[in-house]
Amino acid sequence: MAKKRSKFLMIWVITAVVCLFLFLKYASPKIFQVLMAKDHTMPTPSTLMMWYMIMGVLAGLVYATTSNQKFADFLGFLLPGGGPIIKILLQKMLFVGFPVLVGWFVYSWSIPGAASPVELRIQHPTLPQEFEKRENPFRQTDAETQRKCIEEGKILFQTYCRPCHGSKADGNGPFANSFRLRPINFQDPGTIATVVDNYLFWRIKEGGPGLPSESTPWDSAMPSWKDDLKDDEIWKIIMGEYDTAGVMPRQREKLE
Amino acid sequence: MNNLKILLHLPKRSGYIFVVLFFLSFFSFLSFSQEVFAADAPVEAAKEAASPGIELPQFEAGQPPATATQTAEGQPAAEAGTATAAVEEEEVGPVQYRAFFGIDSRVIVWIVSELHLMFAAFVLGVPIFAVIVEIVGFKGGDIKYDKMAKEFTKLLSAAFATTASLGGLLGFCLYGLYPEFMGHMTNVFAPTMYVYALMFFGEAFTLYGYYYSWEILKGTAFKKWFHIMLGVMLNLFGTGLMFITNSWATYMMSPAGVVPATGKLLSLSHAIYNPLWMPVNIHRLIANVCFGGFVVGAYAAVKFLGSKSEEEKAHYDWMGYVGNFIGVGALIPLPFAGYWLGREVYSTSPVMGNIMMGGAFSWTFIIQAILIGMLFIGVNYYLWLGMGRIRGSERYTKFFKYLIFVIFMCFAVWLTPHNLPLSGEERAMIGEQYHPFSKYFGVMAAKNAVVNLIILATFFSFLIYRRSNKGEMVPFSEQGKAGKIGIFSAVIFCLLMLVSYAISLNFVELEANVKVFVKPIICALYIQSFAICLAAFLTFKNKGKLGQALLFAVTACIAVLYFWYYGFQVMQKANLVLRYLSVTQVSIVMSCLIMNAIIDIFMFRKAKLVGGIEWGKMPVRSQYALLLLCVVIVILMGLMGFIRSGLRMDWHIYGILQDTSQGAYTPSLAYMGRIVGLIVALFLGLVAFVFWLAGLGDKKEKAKEHEYGEVTSSYED
Repeated sequence: MAKKRSKFLMIWVITAVVCLFLFLKYASPKIFQVLMAKDHTMPTPSTLMMWYMIMGVLAGLVYATTSNQKFADFLGFLLPGGGPIIKILLQKMLFVGFPVLVGWFVYSWSIPGAASPVELRIQHPTLPQEFEKRENPFRQTDAETQRKCIEEGKILFQTYCRPCHGSKADGNGPFANSFRLRPINFQDPGTIATVVDNYLFWRIKEGGPGLPSESTPWDSAMPSWKDDLKDDEIWKIIMGEYDTAGVMPRQREKLE
Repeated sequence: MNNLKILLHLPKRSGYIFVVLFFLSFFSFLSFSQEVFAADAPVEAAKEAASPGIELPQFEAGQPPATATQTAEGQPAAEAGTATAAVEEEEVGPVQYRAFFGIDSRVIVWIVSELHLMFAAFVLGVPIFAVIVEIVGFKGGDIKYDKMAKEFTKLLSAAFATTASLGGLLGFCLYGLYPEFMGHMTNVFAPTMYVYALMFFGEAFTLYGYYYSWEILKGTAFKKWFHIMLGVMLNLFGTGLMFITNSWATYMMSPAGVVPATGKLLSLSHAIYNPLWMPVNIHRLIANVCFGGFVVGAYAAVKFLGSKSEEEKAHYDWMGYVGNFIGVGALIPLPFAGYWLGREVYSTSPVMGNIMMGGAFSWTFIIQAILIGMLFIGVNYYLWLGMGRIRGSERYTKFFKYLIFVIFMCFAVWLTPHNLPLSGEERAMIGEQYHPFSKYFGVMAAKNAVVNLIILATFFSFLIYRRSNKGEMVPFSEQGKAGKIGIFSAVIFCLLMLVSYAISLNFVELEANVKVFVKPIICALYIQSFAICLAAFLTFKNKGKLGQALLFAVTACIAVLYFWYYGFQVMQKANLVLRYLSVTQVSIVMSCLIMNAIIDIFMFRKAKLVGGIEWGKMPVRSQYALLLLCVVIVILMGLMGFIRSGLRMDWHIYGILQDTSQGAYTPSLAYMGRIVGLIVALFLGLVAFVFWLAGLGDKKEKAKEHEYGEVTSSYED
């Protein structure tokens, strides 16, 4: 049995790669739809698809070359000669299928299309120096004052931010669907929990128009609030926002 | 075969690169000397006018972009008005920047400093393991270790002069092209520069003494120990040199000991021991050994590919194996050291931290992830291929497919970015910012988990490699006292590490609502301690393999699975606990590696050998794997050098002295790729040339021996 399998090593490797492709293309979008209780599938982005497929092929080749015997078996499948009828059939399929596959790739890459370009994104555009040293004045106050500020902040958040960011700060506000890119879910630990609160102060104060040029391409629809809100109000909103989302801001660490 | 020819002819081609570099240094010298001769008097006058001592010119944070007088020498001052005034301004005004024959000065400094660093990494890393190999050879009485240590040192002595030349060129470039910045650095660090020069003498003397006295200091134990002491001194001088230069480099990122507004020096010791100094010291120390190991591995690979006799092949195969072993040995703790450095960067400045991991440099970390993944895959692949030359390894080849699966899965998670490149259509289909793959794989909790699993898998590969040759074991209870003492010592060491850290976590100063999150971490440390004791107990009961498996399983469950999940929780609620979580993760994995390695050593100590290792019987592709590892580590060093230096953005000295030159912008990824690519090509070309030079002497000796042999045989005839 083992000998039979080793003679078909190339087919096993190809099968594994094809299975990976099918999983990424068809299974994972459905699985994520169910797991995340979405009303639409979550297709694997093309960039990730490409990376994962490259790794799948690489893994197959690494496996096939871990010993001279395996390598010989792997390449030996292509050699003419004896073998069961299934081998001859698979050989012919491979000789026809591989050029067709390459041709399909070339065709699909070179055919003119109207797809928008893939954009590299930067998660945290650089915080300007003048905002780095800012500190939330209400974080150092007593617990009672902080509680009061959080409550005030929550009211301000519901007044100014809820339409887009949602009443639970989960990015599901009434206006959220009107944006090409939905507002961020602040409950996600990978978002506001990863930055210090003066980062949020900058983002609220300056909004999308205040983003530096190096952060492009960026399509933030966040308005600038500097003309409408006072600094104290912004700090309170930040406190209320973290509390609403149920996360904590990244805190400055002591240097060792 | 053609590839082989190209590789063998590489040293000849690198001659062209040498000529280019020679011209570069010559022109640099000309540029510098012109400035020195032309501007001697005004500079002296300016020096007299300036206050003596260590009071520095004022550098205000947020200083506006340079005026014409500041940006480049020879440019008329904008406010001067007349040509005469411009000339006067030019003569008396301090020069802030100079150009390098129309080329961006920063690119020149970038290339030269990175080349210098790469050679320095080799020169500092190789002596560390050369001395260890020499000691192993001396204690074990195996002459081939001694020969290999000498061969390592031969490469070292050849590379040392190049390192020094590049260092000199870098100094000229910095003082010539960035005089004001270097003025600041000199004012702060002048005393350390003299120490540096003295230590350089020390390194040169001990290096050449170590190499040239190799044959002389043979014969007696005293002579050999004296020779080893020379090697140790060489390492001490080398490490000292690196620590001094690290203080200059890290001061630029996290300045301390000066008045930020004026740049006035308050404390030299604080400027040296700035917040990033020790993390960079440790990270570079380990990385140098890793770098040296892989470069030596590539040298052995080239020699193997060109070998004509079986004996030569066997020697260079063994040398390549040792190089790879050293490289992977240092590679395992490297991510931990890197994580510590990264965390301290964040602690120094959250802005710099954000730029690094989530901002302008975040994509360079994806490239870094790919390179590190390639290193681990290359290392494992080489080990698996190496098992082909060991009789008895067939028993373990069944594990390959599982290891490949685990390593590639981890690699996939490791390189998945938090922010995916998406087209508009994809964004619309996904409907939100984060695809689940990027949401769960893209954050540090996931990255830390998988890198630990890759490390565990690599260690497992190494274990099956060393077991390949071993057959029936002697029961542990019959191993004598040495085994028991060894296992007991390992248990004590691991328990001290884990339990002392768990106890210390009880006393961390955190708010009550945050401190709650520390308790599961403490619990995990105690569980691992228990698993260590259980593994030792099972070993004493002659069930060492079960003990090892149990320890692997517990470690993977805690450090990978549980901490992956718990990392998300901590990120969300109590980010301050992340630092304790990561240290715990490291401690747990390290304890597993140490304990399992010690169990393995004593369990298989007196095992019967299944068959010998047939050195030299390696497929050619294994040697290309070694070459790939070398190229990848060189690219990685080039990339990380760019990141470390580039994080300062438009500051020479972060927050104190702004870079107002024309080159003060963060290069795009494509531009960075081109420059790093050029540096890598230059380094590999130069190193091939230098090693070729080092081999010339051998050729002559071999020719002499051959001639002598012919003459002797003719007399005999």
